[in-house]
Amino acid sequence: MTERVFEVFRQEDEGDPMIHAGNVNAPDEELAMHYAREFYGRRGESHRLWIVARDAITELDDPDLLKPPFDRSHKKPGGYIIKHKLEAAKQRAATEAGE
Amino acid sequence: MTELDVAGRESLAQLLLSVADDEFVIGFWDSEWTGIAPMLEEDVATSSIAQDEIGHAKALYELLAQLTEDDPDRIAYGRDAAEFRHAALLNHARGDWAFSVARRYLYETADAVRLSVLARSSHEPLALLAGKMRREETYHMLHADAWLRRLGEGAPEGRERLAAAFSSLWADAQEIFAPLAGEEELVRHGFLAEPMGAMHATWQAAVRPKVEPISGSLPDAWPTADGRARRTDDFAWLHGEFTKVSGSEVGATW
Repeated sequence: MTERVFEVFRQEDEGDPMIHAGNVNAPDEELAMHYAREFYGRRGESHRLWIVARDAITELDDPDLLKPPFDRSHKKPGGYIIKHKLEAAKQRAATEAGE
Repeated sequence: MTELDVAGRESLAQLLLSVADDEFVIGFWDSEWTGIAPMLEEDVATSSIAQDEIGHAKALYELLAQLTEDDPDRIAYGRDAAEFRHAALLNHARGDWAFSVARRYLYETADAVRLSVLARSSHEPLALLAGKMRREETYHMLHADAWLRRLGEGAPEGRERLAAAFSSLWADAQEIFAPLAGEEELVRHGFLAEPMGAMHATWQAAVRPKVEPISGSLPDAWPTADGRARRTDDFAWLHGEFTKVSGSEVGATW
């Protein structure tokens, strides 16, 4: 039997995020479903499983795209220092309210 | 449960014992695959299903023990091989993988028919338990069916082995519906919502169209009177295995 790798994601409760649990080897989707249930659900620990053939996953791990060499601090919330602007705005609001 | 006469209680005890012994013995046979199933994942799946069956047996032995004021462990591990009442289908050693797949398929299909009837039992604890067991057996059925198709539609060798297994097991598979002592009582009290004969017909109608394309035409076959009393050397060996630990220190608390 030719085996394929299936990645398994599990959700503990309704509404929780699907978290990668691990993987199983199986010849096809049908047995992968059975094996995922045995490995990641037989103790009642999962509310839902997603079983995805690894070769169906589009992978991106190119550092040029994910870790570009330029400064990206402006794309993070910490990239803007708004502390002083916020203080000024608060003062302005207080002054207007006092008028 | 309302007051039950002696005959009613004895018939109910026979029913519970027959189902419990079936689950117990198939659980132990299939656990003989632990460590040597075709692939690691299947090893875990088969072992887990075997464990589920022993879990069902435990629940049934507990119901029986309440009824007869006995100890479930004694019923499971304290009887001689000759006192077991599983169907003759479960008298055989696990054989090759196709043999175990064929047996599980025959058993799971029969068990599904039986559980649908037990879920309508007038003995409420049994009806509730049967309902719970069905939820798990649905998955066992899907697993057995997946393997039936895999071997039946795959390479010729798998198909041939499966066909040989079905031919050799067909007669003994009927015995899951072997008449029980006190069956009239069981039906009269509503413990069994349908007689064994009716269940047997339902099962045959369901299973022939799935099995015969693999096995070829199977002969007419019916359950026999001693279908749950015949024992074999294979079973004597298994009985020795599963009573080995409990027998090593009789009366010990584990």
